[in-house]
Amino acid sequence: MVAGAAVVALGVLLLLDAGGTLDLHFGVLGPVVCAALGAILLASGLSRPR
Amino acid sequence: MLRRDRDQGWLGGVAAGIARRFGVDVSLVRLAFVVAAAAGGVGVAAYALGWLLIPAGDSGPGRVRIRTGRAAVEVALGTGLLLVAVLLTFRELGLWLSDAAVWPLVLVAAGGALIWRQSTEEPAAPPTLRPPDRVAREEGPATATAISREEGRRAAAAISRTGVGIALVVAAGLVFLQATGALGAARDVLLGIVAVVVVLGVIFAPWVVRLVRSLTQERAERIRSQERAEVAAHLHDSVLQTLAMVQRSDDPTEVAALARRQERELRAWLAGRPAPGQGGRLASALEAAAAEVEEQHGVPVEVVAVGDRDLDQAHEAVVAAAREAMTNAAKFGAGSPVDVYAESNGGRTQVFVRDRGPGFDTAAVPPDRRGVSESIVGRMERHGGRARVTSAPGSGTEVELVLDHS
Repeated sequence: MVAGAAVVALGVLLLLDAGGTLDLHFGVLGPVVCAALGAILLASGLSRPR
Repeated sequence: MLRRDRDQGWLGGVAAGIARRFGVDVSLVRLAFVVAAAAGGVGVAAYALGWLLIPAGDSGPGRVRIRTGRAAVEVALGTGLLLVAVLLTFRELGLWLSDAAVWPLVLVAAGGALIWRQSTEEPAAPPTLRPPDRVAREEGPATATAISREEGRRAAAAISRTGVGIALVVAAGLVFLQATGALGAARDVLLGIVAVVVVLGVIFAPWVVRLVRSLTQERAERIRSQERAEVAAHLHDSVLQTLAMVQRSDDPTEVAALARRQERELRAWLAGRPAPGQGGRLASALEAAAAEVEEQHGVPVEVVAVGDRDLDQAHEAVVAAAREAMTNAAKFGAGSPVDVYAESNGGRTQVFVRDRGPGFDTAAVPPDRRGVSESIVGRMERHGGRARVTSAPGSGTEVELVLDHS
């Protein structure tokens, strides 16, 4: 679920950028992509059994 | 529930509590706070908030099972990427010291944490203490190959972690030199150092190799010696005691029962299983040993246990040493009752075995008698504990066994 939410949020941001509502330059996109990937990996790792 | 772990913590136990709750390595959580502190002090604020809001608790019984393998890698990578995201955000917002300070700090912290973790990690217990040819003979070549691969994988993982840690610290140095414009000057110094290291390496390499081989051989010899002592102590406590009882017995039924019990016990030991009636908890194992001694020698053995814990290898040794002390008390205590008092609280386990028999002069025990020296004192020392025998002619005997543990 976390992976889905992260990808959807990223998609929304890219859509807003394409529509001109947002200006996503590297300084903004870099942290966003890192955070999305980090959230996906962290959720995946924590959901595995110990 | 999330609680601060004050027992394992360095400051308020926030990192240790989070690590315990989510089953991750505490080094990773501490590293995350340190790195986040470089992003405008977020880590410090987050730690202070955690200290304030998370209720304090104790670590509780038992060791926490942390995630390993793929789950651990995913958690570490995920945390790292989230931290990078935070750092990049603060850099973009301008809440930033400088690239020359923050990035090297982050790399040094990550590399240092890896090296520190590797150097302080307890060596994993080998899959088996039996030599490979014996494993192959008893369990087949496939098992022997699997165990050999497992040992190789562990060694490779340890070397990889240390290598990545060193690479990160070196990279931090290079980033710092590059950012401060000192890399050009440092290059000449670096070349000189490399040349000296190569020359010294060529000169001293054979000596270093010999030294490493000699240390490895010495370690193997020490392990073999400990194994021999362990086998000797076990044989003394089991087979020799049973043979002595067989010699004293006139009843063929009793002799057959003794032989059957000894056979079951020996087979379990050879297969690496706990002896029948053992395994589980400290108090029940001591009671089982007391019942066995009582049955064999016809002397009452009273056990009082305060606190209890799971039996690990070291506590199995405590039970074996206590059993030997009970056997000695039953054999040489002139029929006086044997009292056993065991206490296991916090980080210490203590067992006292007392009798009110004739006692003996501890200094007069011949060196070839293994009962006290190897089965009790030596066994406790090999497992990180200690044993003290207090006795004098006419005043009974007390054996104290102490084991400190985490």
